[in-house]
Order: sequence, then C-alpha cells, then structure tokens
Amino acid sequence: MTQTALDTAMAPTINRRGRAAVGPVLGLLAVLAGWEIAARVLTDAFVLAAPSEVLHYLVANWQLMTRALGVTLGNAAAGFVIGNLAAIWLAGIALVWPRSEGVITGLALLVFCLPLVATGPILRVLFGPGPGPQITLAAFAVYYTTLIPLLIGLRAAPESWFDLVRSYGRGRISTLVHVRSMAALPYLFAGLQIAAPAAFLGAMVGEFTGAERGMGVLTIRAIRALDVEMTWGLATVATAVSVLVYLAIGTLARRVLLDDPPVILATPAPTGRRYQDGWIDICLVLFLALGSWAGSIWLFDLNPFFAKGPQDVFDALFLATDAAATRGTIGMALMESAIFLIPGYFAGLVTGALLAMLLTLVPAIVGTAMPLAIALRSVPIVTTAPLVVLLIGRGALGTIVLVAIMVFFPTFVACLQGLRQAPAQVMSVFDSYAAGPLTCLLRVRIPAMLPAFFAAARMAVPASVLAVTVVEWLATGSGIGSLMALSASLSDYDVLWASVVLVAALSAFGYGLVGAVERRVLAIYAPEQLA
Amino acid sequence: MARDLTPPPEVLCADLSKTFAGGTRAVQPIDLTFQAGQTTALVGPSGCGKSTLLRMVAGLESPSAGTVRIAGAPPLATRRQAGLSMAFQDPALLPWRSVRGNINLALKLARRRAEPSEIDQLISLVGLDGFADTRPAELSGGMRQRAAIARALATHPGLLLLDEPFGAVDELTRQQLSQDLPRIWEARGTTTILVTHSVSEAVLLSDRVIVLSPRPAEIVDDIAIDLPRPRTRDAARSDHVIALTDRVFAALSKGMADGAAFLAAQ
Amino acid sequence: MGPTLNRRSLLGAGTAALGAGAFGLATGRPALAQTTVSLQLSWLHSTQFAGSYIALDRGWWSENGLEVSLLPGGPNAPVEPPVVSGTALVGISAADYTAAAINQGAPFKIIGVAMQKNPFVIASLPDNPVNEPADLVGKRIGMALANTPVLEALCTLNGVDIDGIEIVPTQYSAQPLLAGEVDCLLCWETDLPVSMAMQGVESLTMLMADHGYAVHSQTYIATDDSLANRRDELVTLMSGEARGWEAYRGDTDAAARLTLEMHPDAGLDLETQMLQAARQVPLMFSGLTDANGFGWWTDETVAANIETLGLLGQTVTPDLWDRSILEEVHGT
Repeated sequence: MTQTALDTAMAPTINRRGRAAVGPVLGLLAVLAGWEIAARVLTDAFVLAAPSEVLHYLVANWQLMTRALGVTLGNAAAGFVIGNLAAIWLAGIALVWPRSEGVITGLALLVFCLPLVATGPILRVLFGPGPGPQITLAAFAVYYTTLIPLLIGLRAAPESWFDLVRSYGRGRISTLVHVRSMAALPYLFAGLQIAAPAAFLGAMVGEFTGAERGMGVLTIRAIRALDVEMTWGLATVATAVSVLVYLAIGTLARRVLLDDPPVILATPAPTGRRYQDGWIDICLVLFLALGSWAGSIWLFDLNPFFAKGPQDVFDALFLATDAAATRGTIGMALMESAIFLIPGYFAGLVTGALLAMLLTLVPAIVGTAMPLAIALRSVPIVTTAPLVVLLIGRGALGTIVLVAIMVFFPTFVACLQGLRQAPAQVMSVFDSYAAGPLTCLLRVRIPAMLPAFFAAARMAVPASVLAVTVVEWLATGSGIGSLMALSASLSDYDVLWASVVLVAALSAFGYGLVGAVERRVLAIYAPEQLA
Repeated sequence: MARDLTPPPEVLCADLSKTFAGGTRAVQPIDLTFQAGQTTALVGPSGCGKSTLLRMVAGLESPSAGTVRIAGAPPLATRRQAGLSMAFQDPALLPWRSVRGNINLALKLARRRAEPSEIDQLISLVGLDGFADTRPAELSGGMRQRAAIARALATHPGLLLLDEPFGAVDELTRQQLSQDLPRIWEARGTTTILVTHSVSEAVLLSDRVIVLSPRPAEIVDDIAIDLPRPRTRDAARSDHVIALTDRVFAALSKGMADGAAFLAAQ
Repeated sequence: MGPTLNRRSLLGAGTAALGAGAFGLATGRPALAQTTVSLQLSWLHSTQFAGSYIALDRGWWSENGLEVSLLPGGPNAPVEPPVVSGTALVGISAADYTAAAINQGAPFKIIGVAMQKNPFVIASLPDNPVNEPADLVGKRIGMALANTPVLEALCTLNGVDIDGIEIVPTQYSAQPLLAGEVDCLLCWETDLPVSMAMQGVESLTMLMADHGYAVHSQTYIATDDSLANRRDELVTLMSGEARGWEAYRGDTDAAARLTLEMHPDAGLDLETQMLQAARQVPLMFSGLTDANGFGWWTDETVAANIETLGLLGQTVTPDLWDRSILEEVHGT
C-alpha cells in the first residue's frame, strides 16, 4: 500500500545501521550547534538558552521535571485513550448507519474547531478541581485527527473482499471483524501518530485553567519569571517526549502492520450521497449543535452568569442595545487575527509543499530534514509561542511564523507522501523518454501529490486557528485570542461565547471552503478521489 | 467425504434480467437451468454481462427482474448455509493473512471445520506447496488466483461459482488445473458454473457450454459437451472436441454479428 | 434560581452521599463532622497566597470544623464562575474584576481586602527612572493593550496627558525593558521587578496606589446567597485567613519556605519567593489594618475605589463591599 515519508526517511536508519544513520544525526548536530551559537549571541536578550544551559538546568531539576512530566503525560495519555476511543466509536456509528456520517463528521469538526482559549475555563467550571479539563482538552485535540483517517480506513478495501464475506452468507459484523477492522488499522495508526503530540499540548493547555502541578504549570511559571533555561528546558522535554511517542507509535505500527501507516487524510466519500444530503446534513449539524449546547446548560444547571446559551449569544450579537458595539469588537478582533492567520497559513502550506518537492529532487537530505520537521511540529506551541514572539518581534512576523510552523509539518509530510504516490507505470513511461527529475516532478508527481496536499490544507485550517489564538492570548495580546482571554477575565461571557461560536463557525467554514477548492481541483487532476 | 456435504443443487434462473442504475442493460431476460452436479461454462465476449449473471446467481447482485432459485430456495438461504463458494476475478485474498490463513477464514465464515491435512492437500492440488504460510503480496498473480480456488473448494460447497479463475495463471499451470480441478468436483458432485472467455477451457472443463451475446447478454447457443471423463490432453485434440470448439466459436461469432447488426439497426 | 429543583446540586448530593458512604465503609467509622469548602485562588500557588497555606498548615480551619481546599488559578482559570456556581465558597478576585462581574449580573460582595494597595507599578531602570506619573511623558511604556484603561486612569488622576506616552504592546515580560525596547513597564510590584532582581537587574518601581490609583486587589468575594446562608463558614474561613496573614507578616521567609514545602511541584524558587513575600507586606498591611485587623476597609477607601473604578469604566456602589463577616472575625 503506502509508505510514510517519515518511515522511508527513517527506514535506512533502522535497516542499515551505520552509514545511513548519519543523516538524522547530522541534522540533530546542526540544530544543536546553531542553537548554541544563537543562544550565545543573544545572551543579553533573555530569550534563548543554549543547549548546554538547558542540559544543566534539566540535570539540576530532573526530579521536578520528572514529576511534572508524569502528571502531564498521565493526563495526556488518558485524553489520548478517551479521544481515540471516541473516534473509533463515532467511526463505528458512521459505519453501521452510513446516513449519519455527514452529521457525525460535521459535529466532530465543529467541536474540534472550538478554541482552546475559551473551552478551557468553561471545562474548568464544568469539572471543578482536578484533571478533568486537562484530560478533556487532550481528548478534544486528538479525536478528529483519528476519526477522519479511520472513516477512510474502514472503507479502504476492494469491493471483492466484502463480496467474499457475503458469499458465505455473512453480514456486516463479519465484514467489520474480518475485513474492515484490519483494513483500517494502518489508517488508525496514522491518526494515532498525529494525535500523540496533540494530546500532550491539550493536557498542557488544560493545566492553564488551574492545576496543582504539571508541565503546563511549570511553563507559566517559567515564562512569568523570565527563566529562559527553565522555559527551553520544558520545551525540550515536551518536544522529546512527543517525538518519542510519535516514533514509538510508528515502530509499533511497523510491527503490527504489513505496510506502513499511510499519511493521506483524504475526504471520506460517504456512500450513496445526493447533493441535497449535504445541505440537510449542515442543517442537522447546526440543529444538533445548538440543541446540545442549550441542552447541556440545562442538564448541568449551569449558572446563566457565565453559561450563555444560543439565545443569549443571539441577543448579545443582534438584539441587545450594545449589539452593534459587540459585533464591532468581535469583528475587529477577528480581522486582526485574520491578518496574521491567512499569510501564516499560506506560508506554511507553500513551505511544506516546496520542501517536500525539494526533498524529492534531492533525496539525500531527507534523513537530515525529517527529524527536524518532526521536532518542530512536536514542540508544544504554548511553551515556545511567547519566546518566538520575543525572538522575532511582536509585529506581524512572529505570529505569522508560528502559524506557518503549525501548518508546515502536516503539509510537508502529506506532500512528501503524495509525491510518492505517482503511479509507477506513468513514471516508467516518462523514464522511457529519459525525462529529467524536474519534468517528472511537474508532470507526474505534483498532480499525484494534490489529494494529499489538499487533505493537509483542510486539516491545517483548525490548526492555524489554534496557533493564532494561542499566540495572541499568550504573547501578542491582540486579535480574537486575546479578546477571548480578556472577556473571560472581565466576566464578559456574552462576548466570550459569541467569540467561541464565531471562531468555531469560521474555522469550520474555512475547512469547507478548502474542501470546495479541493473538489474543483481534484475533479481535473484526480477524479478517482471524488468517486 | 461423507461430512456435511450439501447435495449439489439445481440452479434455476427465471426471466432473469439486469439493468444498471445508469440505464445500461447488462442481461436480457434469461431463462436457464443449471443441472445439479453438472459443470456449466458461460462463454461470451468481454463485458457481455456474464459476470453479472454469475453474481446474480450468487445473490451478490440483485436482479432487476426475475428470480434465481438454488435447490428451490433464494440465493441468500444457500449463502447462509454456506452452500456456495465463489472465486472472483480479483482473487480477493486478505493481504494480512497467509494462504492458509485465507483458507481458514473462509472455513470460519462458512462455519465449517477442516483437518489441516485436508487444507495441505488443497494447497498442494493448486500447486502452492511450500507457500501455505506465505502472504499474498509475495505471490504472483497466478499463484494468488490458485490460492483463491483452493479457498473456494475448502468449504465443500454444493455450488461452486468460478469467475474467470485462471485469468492470470500461466498456460502450463492452467492445463494442469484444467485436469485436476474437474476431478474434485466430479468426486464431490458439485454443481459448478464457470465464467470464462477461453473457448477451449470451456469445452475441456464443462458438461455444457452456454454462449452469450455481447451486452446485453442473451443466450446465443446452448451446447452439450458429451466428452468422456476424465479428459486428458490427448482427448483435447480429438476431432469431436475440435468440432465442439468450432461450434462454440461459431455461436460466439454469430452473437457478435447479431450484436453489430442490432447496434447498426438502432 | 426559582423553586425549580437544582439538578446539579441533586446530582452532587447523590455523589457526595455515595462518597460519604464509601468513606464510612472503608474506615469503619463515621467521617468527622467537617464541612468542606473551597477557596478559589486567583493564580498558581506561590507566596501570593502564603497566608492561606499557614492557616491550612497550622490547622486553624480544621480546628473550627472547616476543611478548606485551596484551588489554584492560572492564566486560563476562571475565578468568579466557580464562586457563582458554588464550587468555591470564596474566591480571590480584585475590585475591578469583581465590579465587572457584578455589572454582568453576578451576585457578589467583597468580604475582605487582602491587598490594601493595588500592586500595579510602573517599573523602570535607574538610569532612566519613572519616579512619578509626570515622568511618563515622552517615555515608551511596555504593557498589554488590555491594560490601557489602567494607564488612562492613572493619567487622569494625575493630570498627565496620555498622548505624551508611547504605548508599546508587549506580553507580560521584563524582556522588552531589559532589551531597551521600552523605557518602563506596567506590571505588578511582586512579579516582574522581583524576577529582574533575581536576574541581577535592579529596577525602580512607582506604585500606582501611591498616586491615587485606588483599586482593592486580592479581594475575597462571596455570593449574596452564601452571605445569607453560610455565614459561619465564611467567618471561619476569613478568620483563618486573618490569622494566617498575621503570622505571615511575622516571618515572611518562613512563609516562603512553607509555600515551597507545601507545593514542591510548583517549580518555585525559594529566594524569589522570599523576595516576593517581603515585597508583598507593604501592600497588604497599613495603619488601617493595624488598627482594625486584616482585610479591613473604610468608607473613605471604598469611595476612592469607586472613583478609580469609575475611571476604569465600572460603575459600582458602596454596596459592593460587605464588612459584616470581617466585623465578626475581628469582633468589632
């Protein structure tokens, strides 16, 4: 079937120790050297600690770090398990009852798009003290990236396999047990791999809502105390753990699976859908979302002081005497965020795709670039965002760079994967005309890459919203991220809930928009993806 | 062999036709009876609808009109009793299971048991000695089709449906299989329906050849193959076989010509 | 709330009953007649709340039948909602946040004021000092944009033209000052100046409270409902707080050490905490508290608060402050 770019990059390291392992090691050494030099140069700026200083800090404080890591890792693991089980369960429902798939994915997307900045305090109120919000946010961060590949995986089998089961008079359950579950495994692993760093980030942000201990607690402390060694020490540990879990899941996948996990997260094409089903689904999703929103406020008997229902938000936005002002405030904040988000989003997409193409042309540097890319992606944005902004500046650039980093990695990996999907026979035809690598790239590989690219572009929409809101909240103090944090502290819950609704809706809309562009482009270059 | 054998059923197609959702007519109304214990070959040009007919017999495709009765019951009932096995054009081997694993899966799905030695025999019969524990990805296309045939036989079905089972099998192995397989279904008395576009294969393997026209499939000729069994390679060169083969060819050509005329008349 | 059955309290009561039953079974004896309440802190554990740790550590609550759990806050932690919803009996807020919450319909009263003086300062470096509000003119000040009303209020109170000050939006960090990007910072007396001191940078701080910016900080808030129906618990809680903070004042170093001891996982540095603990004292204690006890206020300080809050855009009345609990605590 498929082979992940990562695994291809790592495979030589595993299969032929020695010569081939040089690439990643070189990459790591280069990073460390560059980091050390940068830190020495910037020593008076209080933004960067050198690797030697970080190491010194970690050695001196290893017990504190270990305890914090234990707590956060525990919560992240709980969220990881719950989120992924939820994804499996939802995929199961969609499978048993295919008509529900559009609604399930729509609701799942909407929940996935809820901004962490605002869901955190709401969850804290719901759960009270304890690890509830940490685990929930970790679960929120992972379930969607598992659900989507799983939905594809459960169908990723030729029709004849299902016929085989049917020819022995067996039904859906046998199909599920003997065919679908196994066919979906590679996709499940692909989702789990992406989920690991996300769960860690979710658990850390959860600690920002009031926790006794953990990596997130230490991060706040470190940033506030201007303790650069501690901040970078935390970032290093968090990154290392995320990378290790990522690699561990990859290794496990290689042991369990015949093929390596695929990276492509193409749109699942629900079976037997008609055009109007899409609109009915959107209406159903809205109806259910509003219903469960109002319903849970009623069920948990939440105080109207902070729990605003759909009616309250509608009033605040349209009927209240200050509705125009509220709309203006939120609209301005959204505009401010969009100015950072949109360039960062496209910069990340373009960089990811270009680097993937470069690596296809010059495969020798894959081994060096790949671990770097994974590390970049696994650095929890909450630890580094304030520092990156300090480093690059509070102007547009800092935020744009952070958004781009969040978008870059998934795009890069997906594109690398997509570039390798070029059909071998077509490549052979080009070879027979002695076409150069550039021609092959332009004529065959890039069109073959498009489905993966668009899948990444879609998933990058919520990721970039997460990035921009977190950066605004923790670092720049502008835009919608900051407005949500501010309105929470000023008890302006009308504005907070209205912002949450608008951010989630706009993210979901952006996701849909990319999906629409995707369908138009793929209709030309990859019609089989839309069947 | 006296285990849970379902007696070979008679298969009855009455007024059976299929029109696909897009309006494409695949099978014209057909009345056809497949005799119990006989091997019947369906021969026709590519894409004529013979696979569709076979799938309707298995109940994997629902007919637009007409009925299929296997030993008097609808196909679903036969499938539920694991009374039929089908070998597909695409071998449909699960890639995560070995050859033996795929055969065992069929037994499990059919709720049947089989001695490991019997499975070994089947694997050996299709020429896969030493590949029992190999996964499909490491087999050639022909080997995979043979594994699929072994799997189809493993459950001792009363009705065996073979959809171009030798498409990717090399010529030599194909000849070997053409001699070995009929022995099994003769011994078991299986009702076998074989879809093929190889005329000589049809003549050599079956008791009866039904020639279909280009899509939409219609019966052009129904030819009884009254050759003694077992049929050896030498027998295949006999005048009688040549005459039968010619007759099948003639029917095929006629079907094609009629089809062309039919199209021209449209 | 009306006469409708409160679903969550019903659920909660059920769970509590189950929990109590399990506890009884497990220990083989009935649980102590302790009432459990929570105090919602406004930030992560640190010496900022050391008085509470002392009260907890020395059993000044439990000896009066009150089991107090201290809920940590954080950058994304709600303070007012847990008090409204009843998760916490008392929360630590600030007059401006409390006023905002009340204007959004929260049924609160301020029942004690831990920080008599607002901790906001303008921090600067000695070679380019800001000693009084007039010095701000022509300076670049680093602050969160959200705090603009605070600066505006200070300027209004002191007749300084805010247009003469260049506001540079920064995150909450001393780095821009140290890097020379700004001339001064709007921050708290007890955090950024302390971390600068720990980095070996001596800074000057101009306490805004000394220039008319009167906003009670670290205020204890409770709902009207609790004030009406749970007075005993409130009195016990606040009396423990008062004792704890008096003890804190007696030995801030010991208080800092206790903070670290009780919260080894908070990543605190003892020296930093000692410095912070010492710097906090002048904000919390004054002639007023010496005369009347911890947490006290008068009509005059309330009037000053109402004026400053008005400049911040929050209109409140003296009703926001309810001294009856403190009066019981201090026996006046």
